[in-house]
Amino acid sequence: MGDAREPLIRIRSVSRRYVRGVDEVHALEKVSLSIPVGRFVAFMGPSGSGKSTLMNLVSGIDRPSEGEVLVAGQSLGELDEDELAEWRARHVGLIFQFFNLIPVLDARENVGLPLLLTDLPKAERLRRAETALRVVGLEDRVDHYPRTLSGGEQQRVAIARAIVTDPDLIVADEPTGDLDARNAEAILQLLRQLKNDFGKTIIMVTHDPRALRFVDHAFHLDKGLLLEGADAQRADRAVQLAAGGGLLSAQAEATHPGAAG
Amino acid sequence: MKYAHLVWRNLWRNKLRTVMTAGAIMLAVVLVCLLLTMPAGMDAMLDNFASNTRLSVHNKAGIVYPMPYSFVRKVRQVDGVAGAVAWMWYGGAFEEDGRVTFPNFAVEVEHIGAVFPDYPIAPEQLADFQRYRDGAIVGRQLMTKYGWAIGDRVALKSTAWPVDLDFRIVGVIDEEDAPHFWFNREYLDQALRNAGMSGLGIAGTIWVRAADPRLVNSIMRRVDEMSRNSEAETASETEKSFFSNFFGSLQGLVTIILVVTGLVSLCIVFIAANTASMGVRERAGELAIMKAIGFPRRVIFATLLAEAALLSIVAGAAGVLLAFGLTGALKAAAGWSDVLGPLGNFTVTPFVVVQGLFLSLFVGMLAGVVPSFGAARKPVVESLHEVF
Repeated sequence: MGDAREPLIRIRSVSRRYVRGVDEVHALEKVSLSIPVGRFVAFMGPSGSGKSTLMNLVSGIDRPSEGEVLVAGQSLGELDEDELAEWRARHVGLIFQFFNLIPVLDARENVGLPLLLTDLPKAERLRRAETALRVVGLEDRVDHYPRTLSGGEQQRVAIARAIVTDPDLIVADEPTGDLDARNAEAILQLLRQLKNDFGKTIIMVTHDPRALRFVDHAFHLDKGLLLEGADAQRADRAVQLAAGGGLLSAQAEATHPGAAG
Repeated sequence: MKYAHLVWRNLWRNKLRTVMTAGAIMLAVVLVCLLLTMPAGMDAMLDNFASNTRLSVHNKAGIVYPMPYSFVRKVRQVDGVAGAVAWMWYGGAFEEDGRVTFPNFAVEVEHIGAVFPDYPIAPEQLADFQRYRDGAIVGRQLMTKYGWAIGDRVALKSTAWPVDLDFRIVGVIDEEDAPHFWFNREYLDQALRNAGMSGLGIAGTIWVRAADPRLVNSIMRRVDEMSRNSEAETASETEKSFFSNFFGSLQGLVTIILVVTGLVSLCIVFIAANTASMGVRERAGELAIMKAIGFPRRVIFATLLAEAALLSIVAGAAGVLLAFGLTGALKAAAGWSDVLGPLGNFTVTPFVVVQGLFLSLFVGMLAGVVPSFGAARKPVVESLHEVF
């Protein structure tokens, strides 16, 4: 990756296989990569490429069948389910495509949810939740319940919930997948701002070609493999074309490498 | 406690469902509490009904088997006995009914007053009872039911003896629910002799009154000792015990009702469990995210279980309060009406309150434990795959 900064994440020859019925599914095969502190990276690829599996491994939601996932020096494979939960609560902020805010809690209470796992007093929890909502630009919506917020606002609340514990790593799974173009741009801008202003390391799984304009680097996956060298450059270019010139050009590039350039 | 807010808010997520489930649990607890008052209530009724100085003596083989009439004289000689009276079942059917519809006994008129001094019978009526051989003393309940009055003549057709008798009502046991019909033993004895039989040489039950409640046990022991190895060995028991055994079939009914109540409670567990399962299923996405952001399994399990238990305990407390109010109202009503009088004995005691609350907690825990455990134990990655 050519970055001089210390890697926050090291993935060494990681494979993940699932048994589905009688079949064994190879979701990820011998993937190795590093992500330095303070980088905003994207995992991109078509459906079934293994990008969400990789995200789950990096965020400690899942464990590899083979290989090692190290985050800030901690080997996640050594932790059991409860230890992983505790580790995620302290080190990872998670954002999902479907915001799944708790409908019976207002925005401030939703954001403060992860702080219930700390020993902070209630007043401090609420104060931090309000600060996080201010960061995402929703300081005037603290008392609003999810049903009274737009999709974009709900995703902002989910982002505030992800940053309220001041985690080392923010992991976002298709954060713009359920939003219109304007809101999607705003969310990508907000993530970029979190990286720039607070030095957060952000990993985003996305299909959205617009994401390339905001991230420092994109990892491309296909059929469980991490694309490298010329393959990776070709995939990068295809996405750039999709973002700039439209879907037809992107398809042409993917079908006839070099024709669009 | 920091999760209490979350539990409470989640409880009211679907208000209608919560209210309906709580209502079902509440009614079950009301039902159970009311039934739990029955054994103690019946005991209290017997306490009110039975004297603590009176005891009954009957054939050890059962109350349908007689004892020699002469035995009553021996009983009167026992230390501490203030009075003893022999009763004999007549089995008389009133012609309007054509069957036996009330208990009627041939009694010793000169001893009945000494053994039942607590029965409200006017002294002059007791005197008439001794004066007229065909006289009868009748409980107020029968007098009211048949519209009889003192001085009326009543004919009974015996189902137990080959003689039918005609009586003159000379007195009343002035208690609203008294079903008695007493007449002179000598009257039956003479009628049997007139019919060519040997007379009434037997007694069905001997009622004894002790001079002091503390002497009841020693009298019972002494009486039963006297009859040992005779043709008719006796079994003595207190009046309360006698009525308790007499109403044994009612106790069986209570047992059946309690079993049915248990089954109803089990149904309520299933209803509550179904509600809890639906609640967990509807929130699968939120629960998956809570696990993903670091909520440990034990916290997920505890908050879901607390939700089910809280709903149940609140509904149970309301049920206990309602049962308390209902029995209180019955007690108040019992003071206004003699017919409702016995219902005043059924009260929700602190023990019944504790039982009702424990039942509701048990229902909640049992209903909540399976869906809560299922939701909590599933690995986070599986939970996320299921909903996204």
